[in-house]
Amino acid sequence: MAQFICRYRKAPEVRWISHLDLKRTLERAMRRAGLELELTKGHNPHPKISYGPPLPLGATGEAELLAFHLEEGADPNAIKERLSGQLPPGIEIAEVWAVPGYKKKETFGEVDLAEYVITVTGRIDAEQVREGVGKLLESEALMVQRGGERPEREVDLRPLIHSLEVAEVSEREVTLRARLTTGSHGGARPQEIVQLLGLEANDNVVRYHRTGVFASAEATAPRPRGVWRRWGRSRTGPSKS
Amino acid sequence: MRIAAFCPFTFSFCLAMRDSDFDVLLSRVVKPARYTDGEWNAVHKEPRSVRARAALIYPDVYEVGMSHLGLQILYHVLNSHPDFAAERAFAPWPDMEAELRSRGLPLTSLESRTPLREFDLIGITLPYELTYANVLNVLDLGGVPIRAAERGEEDPIVVGGGPGAVSPEPMAEFFDAILVGEGEEAIIEIAEAVTAPSRAEALEKLAQVAGVYVPSRYEAVFDGPGPRGALVARGGAPERIERRIVEDLEAAPFPTRQIVPFLDTVHSRVTLEIMRGCARGCRFCQAGATYRPRRMRSVETLLRQAEEAVATTGYDEISLLAFTSVDHTEIGELTARLVERFGPRGIGIALPSLRADAFSVELANTIQQVRKTGLTFAPEAASDRLRRVIRKQLTEDDLFAAAEAAFASGWTRLKLYFMIGLPTETDDEVAAIGELVHRLTTYARSALGGKQGRLQIGVSVTAFVPKPHTPFQWTPQEPTDGLVRKLGVLQRTLRGRHVKLSWSDPATSALEAAIARGDRRVGRVIEGAWRAGARFDSWGEHFEPSRWQQEFERQDLRPEDYANAALGFDERLAWDHVSCGVGKEALRAEAVAALDEGKS
Repeated sequence: MAQFICRYRKAPEVRWISHLDLKRTLERAMRRAGLELELTKGHNPHPKISYGPPLPLGATGEAELLAFHLEEGADPNAIKERLSGQLPPGIEIAEVWAVPGYKKKETFGEVDLAEYVITVTGRIDAEQVREGVGKLLESEALMVQRGGERPEREVDLRPLIHSLEVAEVSEREVTLRARLTTGSHGGARPQEIVQLLGLEANDNVVRYHRTGVFASAEATAPRPRGVWRRWGRSRTGPSKS
Repeated sequence: MRIAAFCPFTFSFCLAMRDSDFDVLLSRVVKPARYTDGEWNAVHKEPRSVRARAALIYPDVYEVGMSHLGLQILYHVLNSHPDFAAERAFAPWPDMEAELRSRGLPLTSLESRTPLREFDLIGITLPYELTYANVLNVLDLGGVPIRAAERGEEDPIVVGGGPGAVSPEPMAEFFDAILVGEGEEAIIEIAEAVTAPSRAEALEKLAQVAGVYVPSRYEAVFDGPGPRGALVARGGAPERIERRIVEDLEAAPFPTRQIVPFLDTVHSRVTLEIMRGCARGCRFCQAGATYRPRRMRSVETLLRQAEEAVATTGYDEISLLAFTSVDHTEIGELTARLVERFGPRGIGIALPSLRADAFSVELANTIQQVRKTGLTFAPEAASDRLRRVIRKQLTEDDLFAAAEAAFASGWTRLKLYFMIGLPTETDDEVAAIGELVHRLTTYARSALGGKQGRLQIGVSVTAFVPKPHTPFQWTPQEPTDGLVRKLGVLQRTLRGRHVKLSWSDPATSALEAAIARGDRRVGRVIEGAWRAGARFDSWGEHFEPSRWQQEFERQDLRPEDYANAALGFDERLAWDHVSCGVGKEALRAEAVAALDEGKS
């Protein structure tokens, strides 16, 4: 038995594939690649695979994570090659590395921060965008309604925004960089930031791209051994919020 | 056939919709993956490398259409041919339709995002009467004139096929040609015909393809109300269209590189067609009558196809497709060897069509050693007399033997299919469904003992629809109010906390019957109902019976004349020009026998 973690990219071709559908797609690709996944014991055996935080529908990302257990050890580069040959266009394996002794229950629970690059194309008022970002960051609280949840509830986004900056702006396009709390205990959605800035109007085209996921300094969940040594923490480092 | 298809500039026009525009559309609809393409095993051919481009269309939403094996077969056959290319399109969900119409954008194929009007050939499956409004909607959204007579040299040739083709008249005026019967061999001949330099020549060539009906070469004559009438051949067209079938299923092309949708479809698994046709001869069953004779694939071929399909798709389940898979003469060996080979790899086998008998349960046991999901049986009627009328070869003893075997081996969920409104059926025989289920429940509780809490018996009821080319093609459908009354009888007699009743809306079955036995006049009703907004009529939430009723009235027609009329054996009928292998005399003999057998 051998444990691996894989980082892959979700490119524009598959940005409209939901997380659930993507999971199925990856599992089928692994079967096509002949990777013998270790199955859970019990009445309804299923492969031991876990996934990093899901991307919102329509977003692309280069920090997508996948951990899996194989029946037998293998060279990570060989796994990368075999799997790459079985993936639909737009799902690209960036790297695979072995994490000996990694347990499924450790998963990616400690990931609580995500960095997004948000590009809005349309009619842009640069001054207004800069002002909007400044106001957002100065606010004490940013209450938003979450309509999709029942009962409908109000969430304060302010503490969930670790950083937000205007990376580039022109008359046609603005690029924002945002670090937001993510994970199963509730996070901020990049779409909510765009809405707060009033950038969804005028048929603007908005693109969301996740560039990294991190474990922030406050993270308390157990850290999967060896994961961040290879990627994540050492690459961009956690937010200093 | 159209110069434009070979023009080097065409390709850029085809992709007139920019990615960013398309993304805006996708960001506004539910399940955008219905429209994105890029699935594993989808084929992308360079349009300029082929002589004809076909768009294959299933007139329902993506998830339903992608579960249809026929589409995958034709896609595979055309794309395996160096001269032809096939792409796919489906009926857009109403949210996508609204986006397309409000922006004046055409419906496109998935693969190259080409508007449908730019294809040489459009192939549309006619799976079921209540999808017919969608057929018109797809053509219209794709920029194709819906009526064949209004199409010009620049428009694609629109060819229909599938189960609905055996009674083609309601859709006849919307199609340039309709293939009656099985398509995997004919599709290449059809694609070849479409490469002719003009529309007239293409139609001429199509008319010579065995099984192809070219409606414009026939004139409809009406003998009275309802489907009474005939189609008169003009200018040397054959008087009868003989259904096309594949003689040797073993040698027929089968797609092992099946497209693997991202979305969870109706059937997310390998579909292995083990048998085509059925030898049972149930009198209500149109498919049983029109897909004769029964043809089987050998165990060796099926094992090879299963191995290839699993390797190329990565699915973890193989479903054995047949009208009654248990009737395959080597089913025992087939399932044993499939389980032996795939079981250890965590790949399950599914048998969706079982008979209600002990042998079927035994078979189900061998394939479902871990997960006992549920067993489905179709007794169709609750009295032995009524089952004799419809020639459903099943007795109550068989059913109880099946139930005994099922409960003994740990199954706790049963699903039973019944029909109401069957010919000669009485209210007492409807109540008998309740009594039968009650006896079964009582038996199950004693057989299951401590596990009886888990017992679930699902009872699913549909209304009988008389279909062309069956012995009941002359039989009236029970009027809707009678069906509603019988449903009430059923609801009163079917009780108990273990029993769950589900039924299909009788108004749906009434429309299904009116269209199934329809003629060209019904085609005008379909067009009118579509213009009035009919879409996705097979989806309860979108079906509005009043829309159809009003359209029948506007055309001065009565749906009852089609659905509820008793037709005479000697009358000419709107589908008599289509021959499905069983002669009218043989059908008539069966119809007479049905009544005789129902007397005792």
